[in-house]
Amino acid sequence: MSLLDEVTRLETEALREIKGADSLEALNELQIKYLGRKGLVTAVLKTLGTLPVDERKTVGAQANRAHQDLENHFQLAAQKFSTTRGKKDFDPTLPGTGPRTGTIHIVNRVMGEICHTFYGIGFETARGPHVETDHYNFEMLNFPPDHPARDMQDTFFVEGGRLLRTHTTPVQPRELEKRKPPVKIITPGKTFRNEEISTRAHVSFHQVDGFLVDEGVTMADLKGALVAFCKAFFGSGLKLKFRPSFFPFTEPSAEVDISCFLCNGVGCQLCKYSGWLEILGCGMIHPKVLENCGYDSEKYTGYAFGMGVERVAMLKYKINDIRLLFNNNLRFLRQFA
Amino acid sequence: MKVSYKWLLELTGLDWPVEKVAERLTLSGTACEEIIPLSKYLDKVVVGEVIDLQKIEGADKIKKATVVTGREKYDLVCGAPNVAVGQKVPVALLGARLAGDITIKKVKIRGVESIGMICSERELGLSDDHSGIMVLDGKAVPGTSVIDELDLDDYIMNFELTPNRPDSMSVTGIARDLQALAGVKIRKPVFELKEADRKTAAYIKVDIEDAVGCPRYAARIIDGITIAGSPWWLKKKLIAAGIRPICNVVDITNLVMLETGNPLHAFDLKLFGSDRVLVRKARDKEKFVTLDGEEHELSPDVLLITNGNTGVAAAGVMGGLNSEVKTDTHTILLEAAYFNPRIIRKSRKYLGLVTESSTRFEKGVDPNNIPYAIDRAAYYFKEIGGGEVLNGIVDCYPQPIFPVKISFRPDRCNSILGTALSSDRMKEILSGLDFEITGSNPLNVTVPTFRPDIEQEIDLIEEIARIEGYAAIPDTEVNIGPLYTPVHFVDRFEDEVRSVLTGSGFDEILGHGLADSRQAKILNPDLSRLRIINPVSEDLDIMRNSLILTALTVVNHNLSHRLIDMRLFEIGRAYFPPDKDGNWLEEDRISLTVSGNTSGSWREKPRPQDFYDLKRAIENLALHFHWPEITFQEIKTNFFDESISYKLSSGPTDIGLIGKIAEPVAKKFDIKQEVYIAELKINPLITISREAVIFEPLPVYPAAPRDLALVVDVNVKVGDIIKLIQKTAGPTAESVNVFDLYSGEQIRKGKKSIGIAITYRSPEKSLTGDEVDNLQGNIMAELKKLFNAEIREK
Repeated sequence: MSLLDEVTRLETEALREIKGADSLEALNELQIKYLGRKGLVTAVLKTLGTLPVDERKTVGAQANRAHQDLENHFQLAAQKFSTTRGKKDFDPTLPGTGPRTGTIHIVNRVMGEICHTFYGIGFETARGPHVETDHYNFEMLNFPPDHPARDMQDTFFVEGGRLLRTHTTPVQPRELEKRKPPVKIITPGKTFRNEEISTRAHVSFHQVDGFLVDEGVTMADLKGALVAFCKAFFGSGLKLKFRPSFFPFTEPSAEVDISCFLCNGVGCQLCKYSGWLEILGCGMIHPKVLENCGYDSEKYTGYAFGMGVERVAMLKYKINDIRLLFNNNLRFLRQFA
Repeated sequence: MKVSYKWLLELTGLDWPVEKVAERLTLSGTACEEIIPLSKYLDKVVVGEVIDLQKIEGADKIKKATVVTGREKYDLVCGAPNVAVGQKVPVALLGARLAGDITIKKVKIRGVESIGMICSERELGLSDDHSGIMVLDGKAVPGTSVIDELDLDDYIMNFELTPNRPDSMSVTGIARDLQALAGVKIRKPVFELKEADRKTAAYIKVDIEDAVGCPRYAARIIDGITIAGSPWWLKKKLIAAGIRPICNVVDITNLVMLETGNPLHAFDLKLFGSDRVLVRKARDKEKFVTLDGEEHELSPDVLLITNGNTGVAAAGVMGGLNSEVKTDTHTILLEAAYFNPRIIRKSRKYLGLVTESSTRFEKGVDPNNIPYAIDRAAYYFKEIGGGEVLNGIVDCYPQPIFPVKISFRPDRCNSILGTALSSDRMKEILSGLDFEITGSNPLNVTVPTFRPDIEQEIDLIEEIARIEGYAAIPDTEVNIGPLYTPVHFVDRFEDEVRSVLTGSGFDEILGHGLADSRQAKILNPDLSRLRIINPVSEDLDIMRNSLILTALTVVNHNLSHRLIDMRLFEIGRAYFPPDKDGNWLEEDRISLTVSGNTSGSWREKPRPQDFYDLKRAIENLALHFHWPEITFQEIKTNFFDESISYKLSSGPTDIGLIGKIAEPVAKKFDIKQEVYIAELKINPLITISREAVIFEPLPVYPAAPRDLALVVDVNVKVGDIIKLIQKTAGPTAESVNVFDLYSGEQIRKGKKSIGIAITYRSPEKSLTGDEVDNLQGNIMAELKKLFNAEIREK
């Protein structure tokens, strides 16, 4: 009998015997008989070395496959004798085991969601330093020295002549100086304000600012982009209201309210019974800012917008104390798994 | 900025309900935050006449007052010192709800039944005055409602103003926006000022030494004035603007400021001390007492009004105590001026004062409305205070400020806004705002000096947009600009770190970035710290120079809330002062923290977490990002326990630190359990990350698993054993795993037993038993030779 036939015979014989095994012990014995170190199939494999090269290849492949197949069959057959199978006392209500998953911080999650919504309409992100110069944080953005507009931004100053950025907007001139239009960027990140820590204010918060500079960008384009964002982010049935406002770096400037997503504009505690929630600031980039960055403001126009991530998160999840976001209490963090 | 609703109607002639006025102004940039009815506490309050006052037996301070309110007659108990027979007074009847949560009920005081109350201004919610009852005009008709009697069917409209709009700090300015919005014409008050023959210039002259700080200063003198309370109509206008009435002179200057936006100041001329106004910079350390009684040591940052010698007012901020108007003031020197906004801002910051006047000067008042404002006040002084207005204004205007002229292109306006407004509509809006227009395309627009915020064409475009309403601008429905942009590589890296680490059971924490220098010193006294010059509190006085500061703070917070088992990570920045070459460094980092036990379950007992839990998380990251091998090099730090303290590297790249927080450091953070922390640096990690994996064919030939049990000295590192096995067996050792580690009773002291599982496989053939035995043999020989291992093959 050729070695190939021997392999086939052993395999058939083994499968028959596996079928007939009536206990786990019997099955284990069979596994040793065929696949153990001194088992029948193992023995065939051991003789392979003595065969001529041609034959060794074909027989070897066949024997290896048979070895693998039988191993699988033994495993499957063993499940029949598994202690839990078919028994009435198995308890599926016991908790699962192994490590639980961790939670992404709610501020980062909301910031990520905001960014991904803007990625969807072609924005990319840019980063900048948190410790900024007066030049980028204020001057380039058309805040004249000693101007009351600077009072809107309670600024921390650090030793060495810099300050902690009060918004992520300084990334706008930084990027505009480096690039050529069209520039379509969002600038997510940390910002700082010198404010007493309270339920509504913290020394640090996160912002997502964004801007687009190109030829022929209009305020209608700004409205279109923000309507698209707000509907994608807060819900398609939403209404938006643009109110005139003031920022030194945009003109015209606007504050955007959305109809309250909790009460659909009817009035509730969240929207202080106004039906509206103030959600972001925006406007057309001030020509002085474009010129400061070396752009011809007659040829290029642009829009810019910005929102506070904590504010959005607090509104969305009805969080009533901003300090919860920075205390990092695990009971709080894990609510947002 | 608080304004009376009725005053706005009076100026504009509109009949809009208050909600509509609020809505239209809000949607054009003057946000109305609050509408407060002045009659809030006046329901069931009527005019009464006091007809009798009787002492109450056994009481000194209270009296029984009998009042008639038309047909009714009431006996009330009243304790006010100023109550008198014949007065007309506000009487709150049964059920009235007054300010301060007072509800009128039937009460019995000292045997006298009282079923109402005579009210003070405070109880009616009109002012803070509670010195006595409010006494109404003698002509008031008993029984009429106080709302009608006092014309209080009005609302306080509270506006939140943007810093660019000084014109909105007056009723006229807000009415001007309504003029443009509603297409009406403001009815500017008409008055005729009758002056005496005596000339103002004969009594006072004005010199300006600092014309940059004070481009215009105008003065008038009103003689023979009688200081008294103001008539009700005047008081009411102030009350509706949130300003407390004081006396006629002060009230008039406030009224004119509300009306015109020009702050005025009245000096007592007798106390002024000279016949010369000199405006100059304060001298260094010059002493000056403001009328609130505070003494200030001045600096040249403060602009000072003087009598040629001593200071009499901190220009535009607050008057001086020395020349304040008093009850016996007879002659008034009235000032109306224009001060440089930047200088007033500096000055009030230096003085630490914010006043109605400084707020207006700082934003920029209208320099060319000064004659009108000073005449308007003089007119009231004559009408109300009975004064004699001297002839002419002494007006010193060394640096005239002229209106700005701007060329405005209607098509440019439409191309910025994305609208199709007609040129005529734009003209209509701009004229509605009192801008003068000539020409057609472009329009030549003259901007009045009450709008210093309008400097260039874009500012006029904003005026068009806000008056037309932003709702009139369409929403573009096509996406413009690039349609695809790549995700920033650092953002992507951080997102992937988040998913790997949360998948490894770590919760993400978020620090605010500020820290306590005392804690930073405990952690690492030698590491430089970036100090905040104006910290909000002393425990947040630096920027953190390590994420470990935040991690330990968070561990402490959770321990104090009885949350003792944690696996935490943060992606955040550490900050440093500039180096000696002036380079500022901020470093993005990842912190990983474990403390307390593993969560455990009914199947696995919880066990303390340690170094190896952190190491697994780092290994998971290494797997995901295909980092080359990470090595551990012992280091000495102040914050790690010296037994477990390592620098992490990958090849030559320094990637961070890992260790066990030293007990004394943990104690300083009030932490009484073991904490293990790793701090990794993001930039080097990105440089060693590899994205593309080239596919490897799946194995064809079977694997040969073998176990190896060996006993070695405890100081032999398992990593070295694994390396030796891999080196000896070459790629045939497909995997080498440690499945057991034991040292204890059954092993000799100073030794440990290690169980290692090796899987052998060749990509080319089935390995024979002899081949595998051969490899095992070589490995065992090497292990014996190099580590003096005792070996037992399984």
